[in-house]
Amino acid sequence: MEVMAKWMVLIGLIACVSTTVKTVNAEEVLPEVQIVEPYIEMHTGPAVGYPVFYVAEKDEWISVLKRRTSWFKVRTRKGQEGWVKQDALKLTLSSEGQPVEIADGSFESYQERTFEFGASGGSLEGVPSLSVFASWVITENIATELSYSQALGDFSENRFALLSVTHTTFPEWRFSPYFRLGLGQLQTKPRANLVQSGEETRTSDLLAGSIGLRYYLAQNFVVRLEYQNLLALTERDENEELEEWKLGFAVFF
Amino acid sequence: METRIRSVFLGTVLFALANTGYAQQQDEPQAQNQTQSVIEPELQRRDINESNIDSENFEIGLFAGILSIEDFSSDPVIGARLAYHVSEDFFVEASYGKSEAGRTSFEILSGGAPFLTDEERDYTYYNLSLGYNLNGEVFLTRNLVFNSATYFTLGAGSTDFGGDDRFTVTIGAGYRLLLTDYFALHIGLKDHIFNSEIIGEEKTTHNIEYGLGATFFF
Repeated sequence: MEVMAKWMVLIGLIACVSTTVKTVNAEEVLPEVQIVEPYIEMHTGPAVGYPVFYVAEKDEWISVLKRRTSWFKVRTRKGQEGWVKQDALKLTLSSEGQPVEIADGSFESYQERTFEFGASGGSLEGVPSLSVFASWVITENIATELSYSQALGDFSENRFALLSVTHTTFPEWRFSPYFRLGLGQLQTKPRANLVQSGEETRTSDLLAGSIGLRYYLAQNFVVRLEYQNLLALTERDENEELEEWKLGFAVFF
Repeated sequence: METRIRSVFLGTVLFALANTGYAQQQDEPQAQNQTQSVIEPELQRRDINESNIDSENFEIGLFAGILSIEDFSSDPVIGARLAYHVSEDFFVEASYGKSEAGRTSFEILSGGAPFLTDEERDYTYYNLSLGYNLNGEVFLTRNLVFNSATYFTLGAGSTDFGGDDRFTVTIGAGYRLLLTDYFALHIGLKDHIFNSEIIGEEKTTHNIEYGLGATFFF
């Protein structure tokens, strides 16, 4: 009996979910655009090499289904589906007779970004290092960033996490310098063959200062080159100073 | 009597007529509503902007295959991949995989002490790669056509094997068959290159992986 009740609840839930999905679908009206050029070319796939298999004519209304990179999947009134280039879609008109604007890929949208995610690769004291980072842009000048790096050397492996604040002095420049100060922790793990000779994994606090240059590339991509100076507050007599150079790539939203 | 019957009849007819009239009056707005609802979607067009277009640039999925670990054995590998399509040509990809190394031929033949503990035999890797697509189409029959892409990747990452994390360069090639716009099957081949001193002298090892995968675009 209990099993049956559970099944009933489950079926009920599925039914609820499926109805909600249906309602959502029913409410969804696809955006439509009108062709004003003599024709618009529809490709079989989302890349320039795919052949043009259909041509939609002037004054026809097409609905826009989805997007992949800078290609849009559209459907004509007759039900033909195909992929249209972003440049071609920009030549169409909206329902109010306005030219269609898709506001990505602009430097303005970069200046209004909120989040940035990326990865970088470089060299920490001569050994390869890799980092991933996420940053939250608070004002046009100030952003906070969380990063995690791994540097793999012949004698040890360094992993460090940093929480930092970035100051972009000239946010209105496409090529823009920035400064960063961070706090974190560094873990140094000796290579397995050194463990046998008595080396141990050490954890120490870390201070970081960086200077870098960022460049808004295109669409929603940024490239950055950075020099970072790290100071590990070790338990030994001397603190350890590390230098890192890195080149990174980020996507912003 | 007759008059009475007649008036009753008339009354019934009048009542019926009145009702029909009322019913008609009630029906009319409904009919109007129906016609309106048929027309409405055409009048309410949604304008296109970035936020109301479903963009599918991310690709997430799982893969399984065989990893041939140099000097050790060939073992099953499973993993996950996440890609972001930057343009029709380029994508960036992060992948993570897990395998477990068997024994070297020396360990098997000599029957002596193993080189590595069980824990050290766990092989895990991650890498970040840049990929390049060569887009194409596959004609299975005259009318059954799928989009596809042959792609090449180059990346760097880390491999945790033999008790250490090793800097690893990965080069790969793959084939993606898009069964629908958002679901793809993959065949892939990757070479993970890293320096290792596990069996004595330090040398560059090539660890070749091949396998099948499935991904969703979202």
